[in-house]
Amino acid sequence: MTKPNETSPAWRGLIADYAGLLIALGLLVVVFSLATRHFFSPETFRTIANQIPAAVLVATGMTFVLIVAEIDLSVGSVAGLSGAVLGAALTQWQWPLWAALLAAMGAGAFCGTFNGLVSLKWRLPSFIVTLGMMEMARGGAHAVTHSQTQYIGAAIERIAITEFFGLSLPFLLAMVVVVVAQVVLTKSVFGRYMFAVGANENAARFSGLNPKRIRLTVFILCSSLAALAAIIDTSRFQSSNPNAGTGFELQAIAAAVIGGTSLMGGRGSVVRTLLGVLIIAVLNSGLASIGAKDEIKRLVTGAVIITAVIVDYYRTRMIRGRAA
Amino acid sequence: MKSLKPNWSLLFVLAVTLATTGCKPADENKAASSGAAGKPTVALVMKSLANEFFSTMEKGAEAHQQAHAADYELLSNGIKDELDVSKQIELVEQMIAQKVDAIVIAPADSKALVPVCKKAQQAGIVVVNIDNKFDESVLAANGVKFPFVGPDNRKGAKAVADFLAGKLKAGDPVMIIEGSPNAYNGLQRRLGFEDAVNAAGLKIVASQSGYWETDKANQLVASLITEHPETKAVLCANDSMALGAVPALRAAGKLDSVLVVGFDNIAAARQLIQEKKILATADQHGGQLAVFGIEFALDTLKNKTTPADRETPVDLVTAENLSAK
Repeated sequence: MTKPNETSPAWRGLIADYAGLLIALGLLVVVFSLATRHFFSPETFRTIANQIPAAVLVATGMTFVLIVAEIDLSVGSVAGLSGAVLGAALTQWQWPLWAALLAAMGAGAFCGTFNGLVSLKWRLPSFIVTLGMMEMARGGAHAVTHSQTQYIGAAIERIAITEFFGLSLPFLLAMVVVVVAQVVLTKSVFGRYMFAVGANENAARFSGLNPKRIRLTVFILCSSLAALAAIIDTSRFQSSNPNAGTGFELQAIAAAVIGGTSLMGGRGSVVRTLLGVLIIAVLNSGLASIGAKDEIKRLVTGAVIITAVIVDYYRTRMIRGRAA
Repeated sequence: MKSLKPNWSLLFVLAVTLATTGCKPADENKAASSGAAGKPTVALVMKSLANEFFSTMEKGAEAHQQAHAADYELLSNGIKDELDVSKQIELVEQMIAQKVDAIVIAPADSKALVPVCKKAQQAGIVVVNIDNKFDESVLAANGVKFPFVGPDNRKGAKAVADFLAGKLKAGDPVMIIEGSPNAYNGLQRRLGFEDAVNAAGLKIVASQSGYWETDKANQLVASLITEHPETKAVLCANDSMALGAVPALRAAGKLDSVLVVGFDNIAAARQLIQEKKILATADQHGGQLAVFGIEFALDTLKNKTTPADRETPVDLVTAENLSAK
């Protein structure tokens, strides 16, 4: 569990919780700043802040799904479908912006409902159901766009370029989602239920919870966040591409795992997932800045993910050792 | 990670998916192979139909077949993912088993597809190579030759970059966003860009792969423009990547001072050209490319001789000639 120990002051718990990730992040920034001319600059950090909102939203949803001991492989395709619906609604069907946004969110929520209902009704592993949805939603994205990139233009741009205090609307939105999600996880009844269902479904059921309803809600939340991510990316690129979001699922799982979320359920934190997203983003940006070759980029990114999991293994053991 | 329990079931599902996707319904295949006496069957094997370029190509081929329905049967197939080379090899094997008369192929890999196409040729099937040219050294090692019908990507890329160079002055720094490192046409486009850049005395400050994709190119350009703020132009090996480069430059406040060029002439890029956010792209007439290949195959079947390679046109697309249309 990532909850701070009640007997020690809250801040000490917080530092113990995030120190490893923050140190890793700091180390990456230092290394890249020394290795390049311009990495350590406000532009770099603004660039990263512009790029991560979609990844943060998808990874937040994925963290929820992993906590309840499920997985959602369809998030990338669902984002592709939602973006496609948004693009088609604005260009082919000439809908007003609000209706198009609603349709995009609706497409996402529908996919999540489908994932949840099918896997819970027939007790199928979500791995398989969402793998099927991954194909179906991608097919849907191509059907809606006729496999052509839909150019939208200025109609959608204002979402991405609206700024408050120098921070973009998508970035602020992503941060609000992270804060709300973290509060829900650690302070709300629903959050406690999520951990309970993920850690031990039978125990949760005997204590009167309805694991199915909790899981269904989480699937819908996850797909809806993917749809929101699609809206942000569509706005950023002013166009929707039927292949958008390919590989999102693996990035999101990687970010959650770097942040110490357990693939077995019952353990995870949205703030730590955010740090996971940041580590991947800094790594991508830094490796591009030093002009690393593609094979090196992939080797390094993969190695960082595995190292994070190994470090997390020792961290968990240490915490358990202290608790005992 | 000792988790991911249902690993074997993933493998099973993948196997089922691979076995089913891409295979056309059986009756359609049967109809084609038993095709009316004397009417040849031409199999069109393409790369990813998820890519607008190839879906346009397929539509062009289908329209041509409908206009020439008396002359030949068309069996068109693509793979799910541009990098799924083994699936494309399986497709060619299926076409050999179907005893088609000709295979017109845009190989996903310019080396890996050579042996299976050699097998097709030995089975008496006319093989025509379109779009992405087979690797010369692998062809030589296998002792085969396939006629190539397609554009000269290097020449096309050079034309785009020459036009760009006309707007810059010697010594200006530029960056290249390459295609997938294992794609022959990606390599040719990079070389074409470099030909023009060197001729004009421009300076390449960065050259990295955006894997043909919008979001990858966006991340790449965003990082590179911070590292090389003096950059005057971004040369992208396809339009999808140019679509990613433009918002990265806008976010950096450099859209007005940095020129962007692409390649492929997709609809979205044409609009950005009209909005002056992209300077130019190249049109290699994807819709016609498969048709050229099919006509070439039909000629070969009819005359029993192999005509020479045929170079298809690549045209420069700019705001001027778009508004002229």
